[in-house]
Amino acid sequence: MRRPPGAVTELLGPALLVILVGVVGTTASASNEGYFLNALVSVAIVVAIYVFVGISGVLSFGQISFVALGAFAAGVMTVPVESKKGVLTSIFPLLRDHSIGNVPSLLLAAALGGVFAFLVGLPLMRLSGLAAGIATFAVLEITHNVLREWTKIGPGATTLALVPETTGALQATLGALVAITVAFLYQRSRRGRLLRASREDPAVARSVGVNIHLERLLAFTVSGALAGFAGGLYVHLLGSITTEQVYLELTFLTLAMLVVGGLTSLWGAVVGALAVSGLDSFLSRAESGVHVVFTFTLPQGTRLVFLAAIMALVLILRPSGLTGGRELRLRWSLRRWR
Amino acid sequence: MPEAAALELDGVDIRYGSVTAVRELTLRVGRSEIVGLIGPNGAGKSTTLHAIMGLLPVHQGEIRLNGQPLRRRSAESIARAGIALVPEGRRIFGDFTVEENLRLGLAARRRAYMGDPLAPAFELFPILQEFRRRQAGVLSGGQQQQLAIGRALVSRPDILLLDEPSLGLAPLAVDGIFKAFTEIRELGTTILLIEQRAQRTVALANRTHVLVGGELRMTLGPGDAENTQKIIAAYLAT
Repeated sequence: MRRPPGAVTELLGPALLVILVGVVGTTASASNEGYFLNALVSVAIVVAIYVFVGISGVLSFGQISFVALGAFAAGVMTVPVESKKGVLTSIFPLLRDHSIGNVPSLLLAAALGGVFAFLVGLPLMRLSGLAAGIATFAVLEITHNVLREWTKIGPGATTLALVPETTGALQATLGALVAITVAFLYQRSRRGRLLRASREDPAVARSVGVNIHLERLLAFTVSGALAGFAGGLYVHLLGSITTEQVYLELTFLTLAMLVVGGLTSLWGAVVGALAVSGLDSFLSRAESGVHVVFTFTLPQGTRLVFLAAIMALVLILRPSGLTGGRELRLRWSLRRWR
Repeated sequence: MPEAAALELDGVDIRYGSVTAVRELTLRVGRSEIVGLIGPNGAGKSTTLHAIMGLLPVHQGEIRLNGQPLRRRSAESIARAGIALVPEGRRIFGDFTVEENLRLGLAARRRAYMGDPLAPAFELFPILQEFRRRQAGVLSGGQQQQLAIGRALVSRPDILLLDEPSLGLAPLAVDGIFKAFTEIRELGTTILLIEQRAQRTVALANRTHVLVGGELRMTLGPGDAENTQKIIAAYLAT
């Protein structure tokens, strides 16, 4: 079957934008490079959320659970064995005595994220709307507390440090590209179309034979695997992490990115992640003083107040996001007249 | 009776909360028949189709497909058992291409067939093949209706449920889809047709039932098509 129209720009648009950010990031000063890398990892996380929330139309506050699991799994497993004995004293011996490389740790994070999402999704994917949102929030709460209190599997409430910082410009860019490609292939696949149909019109989807529970579960699992993978990228970017960093604020930020960009398209997820991440970086710099024409300093907390206000404004003024929730179509205006 | 009817409703009650929308509805659709269901707005016609499809629960009574009861089965499993619904208002996916819309219908297909899986739609409506790469949203009303019927047909259902397929269509387009119903029947598919165009439906169908206030009032045969008085009387009967 020939690819339907727009398939090329649908993948290339987001991919080129990500590559551009990666390239510009390498030319930035060392102190600024972190912002670009952070933006690229945000793209991976937001695209992971998009795969479930965007395509299925079911709200989830829980996808950061899979990011957290991926981050801690990849982190714990890559701290060098000799360092682990000193800092992760109460951890299971199996985890204490073994370490794996960077790429295997990302694969492990993806696998764990996918398996966890599948298990959680089995009962939860029967829900939709508000119930789904609240139940997935419960998953976030459970994951957060288990990671924070169970010192047999990780550092508990203390910081996990000494994680190799392997997420550089190349790896962050490649990671974001992997997430985008998987999301693209899934949404273009037959299964992806069935799920999109169930988002647009559940009754019609069911009466043409779509098993909505099954399709949602599949998307939730793919989303969980990508989120785990993105968590792995994240921990290798930060070098040290606490459970608080993959909890409420990240949930809010990434959902804001998706909403601002446009919930229902891959292009929206990527644009939103980059735009909000850029703004977020600027504001956090401004909280400690920044020079734009003249030097000014914003009060502490301005950053989140501002981002939350922007999210609310977008919801009011442009509910389908900056991209209108549509994929990038370069020849859109031409095609209209054919 | 020699064999089980393709579709049977036996004393079916359908309720919305405490309101009974359809009461003790009994009807029988034989293999390769077209059975019409007409009646004023709010008579319970669409409700009946939704209940057959499993989108609404049946409060009492039984619906049988080829003799097998459908009670408590989900809509998707009923679709896979061989019933396809063409909903009112067409409800195609405007952002999808024509072909993508048709491929959705394959989800309910029971087995693989030789050749192009979309052939049942393309043979009946060649325009769909010609426009297969267009966005469905830019098709005309008549073409969208053809697409909605085509989407139902690609699953090769035993029974096609049609909910007001001629609604909002230009007269020529209406002629086109009524002609299609005859062809669909000739291919062996059974049709239960809800329509507002009472006279045309009575003329086309093997039998046409008049539903008023959730109850079956009268059954008309093709011979009654010219008897406008009788059709009007059936609608107005209380």
